[in-house]
Amino acid sequence: MKAYERREFLRTCGQVIAGGTILTLFELSLRKAMAKGATYFWQIDPTKCTFCGRCETDCVLPMSAVKAVHSVKICGFCDLCGGYYRPNVKELNTAAENLMCPTGAISRRFVEEPYFEYSIDEDLCNGCGKCAKGCNSFGNGALYLQIKQNLCKNCNECEIAKVCPADAIRRVPIAKAYNLKL
Amino acid sequence: MNLINHIKIIVQTTNRFPKPDFESGYDYPERHYFVPNEAFWSYIDIAMLVLLMSFVAWAVIRKQVRWPVILTSIISVAYFGFFRHGCVCSIGAVQNVALALASDSYTIPLFVLLMFILPIIFTLFFGRVFCAGVCPFGALQELVNIKNYKLSKTVTTILSIFPWIYLGFAVLFAVTNSRFIICRFDPFVGIFRLGGELPLILFGVVLLIISVFTGRPFCRFICPYGAILSLFSRVSFSRVKITKKGCINCQLCHNACPVDAIRAPYENKVKENRSAGVNRILRYIIFLPLMMIAGATTMYLLSDNFSKVNKEVQLYDKVSENEIRPQEIQSLELQAFYGQGRTVEELKTQVAAIKKDFRIYSGIIGAFFGLVIALTLISLSTKRTRKLYEIDGADCVGCGRCFSYCPQNQIERG
Ligand code: SF4
Ligand code: SF4
Ligand code: SF4
Ligand code: SF4
Repeated sequence: MKAYERREFLRTCGQVIAGGTILTLFELSLRKAMAKGATYFWQIDPTKCTFCGRCETDCVLPMSAVKAVHSVKICGFCDLCGGYYRPNVKELNTAAENLMCPTGAISRRFVEEPYFEYSIDEDLCNGCGKCAKGCNSFGNGALYLQIKQNLCKNCNECEIAKVCPADAIRRVPIAKAYNLKL
Repeated sequence: MNLINHIKIIVQTTNRFPKPDFESGYDYPERHYFVPNEAFWSYIDIAMLVLLMSFVAWAVIRKQVRWPVILTSIISVAYFGFFRHGCVCSIGAVQNVALALASDSYTIPLFVLLMFILPIIFTLFFGRVFCAGVCPFGALQELVNIKNYKLSKTVTTILSIFPWIYLGFAVLFAVTNSRFIICRFDPFVGIFRLGGELPLILFGVVLLIISVFTGRPFCRFICPYGAILSLFSRVSFSRVKITKKGCINCQLCHNACPVDAIRAPYENKVKENRSAGVNRILRYIIFLPLMMIAGATTMYLLSDNFSKVNKEVQLYDKVSENEIRPQEIQSLELQAFYGQGRTVEELKTQVAAIKKDFRIYSGIIGAFFGLVIALTLISLSTKRTRKLYEIDGADCVGCGRCFSYCPQNQIERG
């Protein structure tokens, strides 16, 4: 009987300690949770991204959740687009060896002389960033990379963020799920 | 920091080519960027979590039936696993909580905090009902489990040190903001997402094959969250009982348990007298701190190696090598480092702070490892007198398999 009582006593002690631990943990981390600007989605900061190409290869998804986006409002609508054509192309035609995008995800539409409107097919884009690199080096920087939130699994820790050389991928608030340039 | 970003954006968008003046009345196309309703889904997740845990608790503690556990397992694998793709899960949330407690800059989402704390609260009240079938990993293993080949008690005890070690490292790398290793080496998430890193998926498949023959290898020998829960379920207010009628020592349930939580009756032959008992306690009192100090020292000495996991530390190594011997072709990291105009000095102080953190936390966690190992050894060397078949609250995951084996329960159902 004595052993039994001792066991019961130890158990009650354990319960008190356990309850106390839960309350303390909860209280301490709740303060952090309630702090302003809780962030939830992963997103690329286009001002930091160096278009290194790891976004294509390091996402946990077979087809990266990172896609090129195009801000029309800052686009120059150039005929010789740094993101569309490879550098030093001889002829401005749409033969694959002239084009920057390895998957043919960028298409363009003639607007008026000498302007072209560019758009990206999200299903084809693999997030390699070649176009963005071209556009940022030779153009207005209207092409850049963003994590598409509808595709992203919102991993607890983004695999790309951990290999991104520029540390460009950070958590952002839900209300600002994209870092759009314009 | 923010200010700098804004300035940069303005600088970057100064156009090399001016905005065209369209004459043909061109309209800029609207581009939509879809944002999923995460808030909504996280409410549903929390509701499902509470609902399923209550359901399991009702079934295994009140009603002593197993079918709700199976049903819950199926729902959990389907919903948390294949539909929600298993992220964020309670196991990984350990790291978010650790990081939130240690770092001022990290704000943990309330939803993740609840994912972490709710199963612990339920465990304190009802035992590991979360593990029973609400956790998609446990559920998956539960559903494929057919046979229970038993491992020897010594082997399972030694192996069950690993979750604590894993937990220790997970916390170490989380509080230093280096890596979430639980997420990195998650064996099942690849299965739920139907794609991922091949070695990890293979590991997950191997675990599942093992769990066909012996219950829940992941829960018992890997899962760090299970280790935490086992502490709370050790002292839980109500717990699973094999039968409410009283055990008749028939042994029938003994082999039913997939996680070896049912302890057989045992009688200590030698009655320990008082002075021997005091002696034993004294030995523990010396042994425990010794092990803790040993653990702390070992981990402290190794902390520099652990710090290599941190990205900034890796960068610093690369940069300082480059400073000594400038490289012809610079790696992407170096290009970004110099491109962003960061200075070596700045990085150096940053890295020194990170390494200091690593030393402190490694020491603390080392002491903790020492404690765990010492307690495991002590528990292996002592046996408690027991008259009936009893469930060990720490190990029992509340699967409810043992109920149907007990003849006392059979009578009730007639
Ligand atoms: S890994 Fe970083 S730098 Fe490289 S393309 Fe992605 S966001 Fe840009
Ligand atoms: S070049 Fe790469 S990033 Fe740009 S559209 Fe093509 S696949 Fe996408
Ligand atoms: S959070 Fe996961 S799914 Fe999303 S971009 Fe990063 S690695 Fe890919
Ligand atoms: S409910 Fe019974 S069979 Fe299931 S884990 Fe607990 S003791 Fe083992």
